[in-house]
Amino acid sequence: MEPDATEVPVPRPPVGLYVHVPFCVSLCPYCDFVVLAGAAARGPRSRLASFVSALATELELRADRLDGAFGPPGSAGRPALASVYFGGGTPTLLPAGEMASLLARVRERYGIVPGAEITVEANPGPAERGDPAGLARAGVTRLSVGAQRMDRAELRRLGRRHDPDDVADAVRAARGGGIGSIGLDLLYDIPGDSGAAWASTLDRALALAPDHLSLYALTLDDPGAEGLTGPAGDHLPTTAGARRWRERSRPQQDEDRAAEQYEHAVERLAVAGFDGYEISNWAQPGHASRHNLIYWRGDAWEAAGPGAHAFDGRTRRWNAARLDGWTAALAGGPGRAPALPPGGHEEVGATAAAAERVVLALRTERGVPAAVASVPPLVDALRWALDAGLLTTTADDRVVLTTRGRLLSNELFSRLV
Amino acid sequence: MTERAGPSCYPLRAHVPTPGSGAPADSDGAALVTPRGPVIPQERLRNFSIIAHIDHGKSTLADRLLELTHTVEGRQMMSQVLDSMDLEREKGITIKARAVRLEYTARDGRTYGLNLIDTPGHVDFSYEVSRSLQACEGAILVVDAAQGIEAQTLANVHLALREGLTIIPVLNKIDLPSAQPEVVMEELENVLAIPREEVILASAKDGTGVPDILEAIVERIPPPHGDASAPVKALIFDSHYDQYKGVVVYVRLAHGTLHDHDTIRLMASRAEAELLELGFFRPQLVAVKQLRAGEVGYVATGLKSVRDAQVGDTITAARRPASEPLPGYQEAKSLVFAGLYPLSGEDYPLLRDALEKLHLNDASFTYEPESSIALGFGFRCGFLGLLHMEIVQERLEREFDLDLIASAPSVEYRVELTHGRGALAVDNPALLPSVSEIEVIEEPWVTLNIVTPSSYIGALMELSTSRRGAFLGMEYLDPQRVLLNFEMPLAELIVDFYDQLKSRTQGYASMDYEEAGYRPANLVKLDVLVNGEPVDALSLITHRDKAPTVGRQLTEKLKELIPRQMFEVPIQAAIGSNVIARETVRAMRKNVLAKCYGGDITRKRKLLEKQKEGKQRMKRVGSVEIPQDAFLAVLRMGDS
Ligand SMILES: Nc1nc2c(ncn2[C@@H]2O[C@H](COP(=O)(O)OP(=O)(O)O)[C@@H](O)[C@H]2O)c(=O)[nH]1
Ligand code: SF4
Repeated sequence: MEPDATEVPVPRPPVGLYVHVPFCVSLCPYCDFVVLAGAAARGPRSRLASFVSALATELELRADRLDGAFGPPGSAGRPALASVYFGGGTPTLLPAGEMASLLARVRERYGIVPGAEITVEANPGPAERGDPAGLARAGVTRLSVGAQRMDRAELRRLGRRHDPDDVADAVRAARGGGIGSIGLDLLYDIPGDSGAAWASTLDRALALAPDHLSLYALTLDDPGAEGLTGPAGDHLPTTAGARRWRERSRPQQDEDRAAEQYEHAVERLAVAGFDGYEISNWAQPGHASRHNLIYWRGDAWEAAGPGAHAFDGRTRRWNAARLDGWTAALAGGPGRAPALPPGGHEEVGATAAAAERVVLALRTERGVPAAVASVPPLVDALRWALDAGLLTTTADDRVVLTTRGRLLSNELFSRLV
Repeated sequence: MTERAGPSCYPLRAHVPTPGSGAPADSDGAALVTPRGPVIPQERLRNFSIIAHIDHGKSTLADRLLELTHTVEGRQMMSQVLDSMDLEREKGITIKARAVRLEYTARDGRTYGLNLIDTPGHVDFSYEVSRSLQACEGAILVVDAAQGIEAQTLANVHLALREGLTIIPVLNKIDLPSAQPEVVMEELENVLAIPREEVILASAKDGTGVPDILEAIVERIPPPHGDASAPVKALIFDSHYDQYKGVVVYVRLAHGTLHDHDTIRLMASRAEAELLELGFFRPQLVAVKQLRAGEVGYVATGLKSVRDAQVGDTITAARRPASEPLPGYQEAKSLVFAGLYPLSGEDYPLLRDALEKLHLNDASFTYEPESSIALGFGFRCGFLGLLHMEIVQERLEREFDLDLIASAPSVEYRVELTHGRGALAVDNPALLPSVSEIEVIEEPWVTLNIVTPSSYIGALMELSTSRRGAFLGMEYLDPQRVLLNFEMPLAELIVDFYDQLKSRTQGYASMDYEEAGYRPANLVKLDVLVNGEPVDALSLITHRDKAPTVGRQLTEKLKELIPRQMFEVPIQAAIGSNVIARETVRAMRKNVLAKCYGGDITRKRKLLEKQKEGKQRMKRVGSVEIPQDAFLAVLRMGDS
């Protein structure tokens, strides 16, 4: 859908589903995701089983609502899902069998279109990469592997346990298991980073012939300071150790170095035949993440799991991050029926929604039609960015970010919101 | 422990029962009828002040005098009643002079009227001090027997001698084990030529010697003279604004008799008013029918602003006006100037109202609107000195609930223009004409007296040299302590000199200064340019030799504080078109959100909104956005 400032948003049925699986073997010090690690994730006191049953309940309850609002799946007002995405955390910690039954329920209650994209995030370590063959049999088409770096010392510096060889093994296993699309996540601007080290990680990752690459500058935030970690917040409080790690690491980041690393990647990946279809994402032809495009196009999606966010075209809704509250609501109890978990929502006004759509669209290589760029109130900011060389107009009359524009995109976006 | 606990001020108009002292009725003399009945003739009046270096015990002694004369009963005694503003209490100094009427039955069995006139204890207010002293015939000089003479002791004594006052020297705190009365008496003898036989040893704390002080007041200080039948001439030595009575002035009647139905005229301001009330301070106001030559009291004028009744002005009666005012009137003269700006622009109207209201009460500061690129809309204000500036700023913040920023304090320069195009006074460096238009710049100098333990002489010489000071002389007060004499540009003094003095002498040195006229100097205006645009609030006037150092410091600091922009930003310090220091803020390379997926959108939009707000709060210099904090940090650079 093209951005249009005059459109009054109406609720729409979801075309995608996001499922959050909040468990990891260990916690990375820079991680802001809703994650529980250690005993909660593995072993006799693992909370995976109660999580799976609560998740099944949430999927049912959310489907009930959608049935009520838009009719049953497959009916005219209720298209089947084009994408399902298991994110985390490390969803591959769920046994493939569980994944299969969850997906079966999703297919029944939400519908899944033939050829849909079904993604699972994975970590490369032997104990966390899961069973790709089993996942493929369950219908999973895409695996997104958290490689981060391809150097052992750098991985240790990031607090990661796996080795570069594990990444290679994970990719090989996924291919062998019949996963059709494999993506790697990589980090740059890490403490003690250098241009050469980054170039080497990039080369070694490319040697594994991934179909998709997500490259992120290490971001050291403080969700607590943003007020996101309260009881109803969508983030968990940052641990004291992680906070210290971030404070130590922040001065070891470098804006100029990061910009050079990004510019290097832009060139290197173009040579390797990748298409940079979003600020942080590159894909071989046909491998762009359809799920993520749902977000960037402003389409509607449903979501389940602690801390997960959904959007129906008008309202952004999220579950609170805390696993206990989420599980307790969904489990129900004596005299208390299972209920949807606590959380929050935000009604996005027409102007904010329009700005948001332009921002998201501009993050992608498609940008926005030149016509949109000439409509007030965005016109001034967009003209400024064209003059400043942050934007350019394409042959098919669309306005897109230049490489410099991508690196400085907040300068433009903060004028748009 | 100090004795400063307790209520913060005495209630000026509150009803305090008149103490029923056993003062015998007096029948001699004439006319003056107080509510207490007795009539006190001129020859039994004594008008005096207490002068002292800060903390030597002036307020404590005043308390004792009030107590001993039953002016305030013990149980109504509030510690140190003469200080009456919160701020004075906190800073331990007396900002506003007050006066109080004591009735004392002397050893000769007769009742005397003693008017104690309090004086401000800080050099910023030396004009007010001199006016207070002019209202007196004598002064009690209090010197701490453990500390000895300090800079303000000397300054005050000189003022008192200039007014021809009788001085009663008192060594206070002799109860202290560290008291060295012998040494200090020697200092008094050597430095001030005060014979030791005149010195009274006292402890304001335990009361020792205080009766002797009262006797000495009666015996040594001459009564006022002045003709009660001549045209009225009354000296204003203080004033305050009262919501109901308008401006209440504190006066000393030099000549004539003022009646409660008189129409008064202020000889300098030319204001006229039908007076509302006359009276004494005990210390609450007690109305009377008339005030006669020699008396000290108050006059409620009903005037709306203290501007119309300034300290030093002469009051006369409209029915039979005096032909000449009393000598020595000066307009309050500002020495230190600074811009005061509200931290947030919306508070500008509040600041304007606050200045207006405060000015009703303190006419000794000036203000006029100005604006600055960096700080927005504010006021250029003139103050008697740095402390006065601090007090005004604090009162504005505290009493009117404002958050203020002050630009760097400046002195007033005199500029003679080229080609005989006249002269101008410049108190804001940003307004200094360009080099080619200036024939000569002159700046104000001061003479500086510093009393210090002799071990710090070297450190203070160094400090003074670094401030373009010239050493004038040195005098040993005793083997351990010296009085140093310097001359120095006032501009050098107002930039943290006092703090430096204290820190380089472990707090032992004290100082005092006096204006010493204008002198030409090799001064230049240093402009700070950001991306080629001058930043008005950061312009300063400095000596040519110091300009490179100052310029380097400023540009380095700004480089740290100005966030990277989308283009490279040069920061320059320049004298005219001559750049003397340069730094560069490199262009921003990266400002991007790495991730923006489903769960991030709301959060990231808020982040962007915050960036946008941050931008809107930034001040623009040309196309460069600079956070206000950067300006503040640079302005505060001198403080650290
Ligand atoms: N031991 C002792 N302390 C005193 C005496 N007089 C005043 N002080 C103390 O010295 C300090 C300063 O006194 P204060 O009257 O406020 O000084 P001012 O600044 O001159 O008014 C206070 O802590 C007093 O309690 C005294 O005679 N003996
Ligand atoms: S593996 Fe990923 S989700 Fe898990 S803690 Fe590390 S960064 Fe977070």
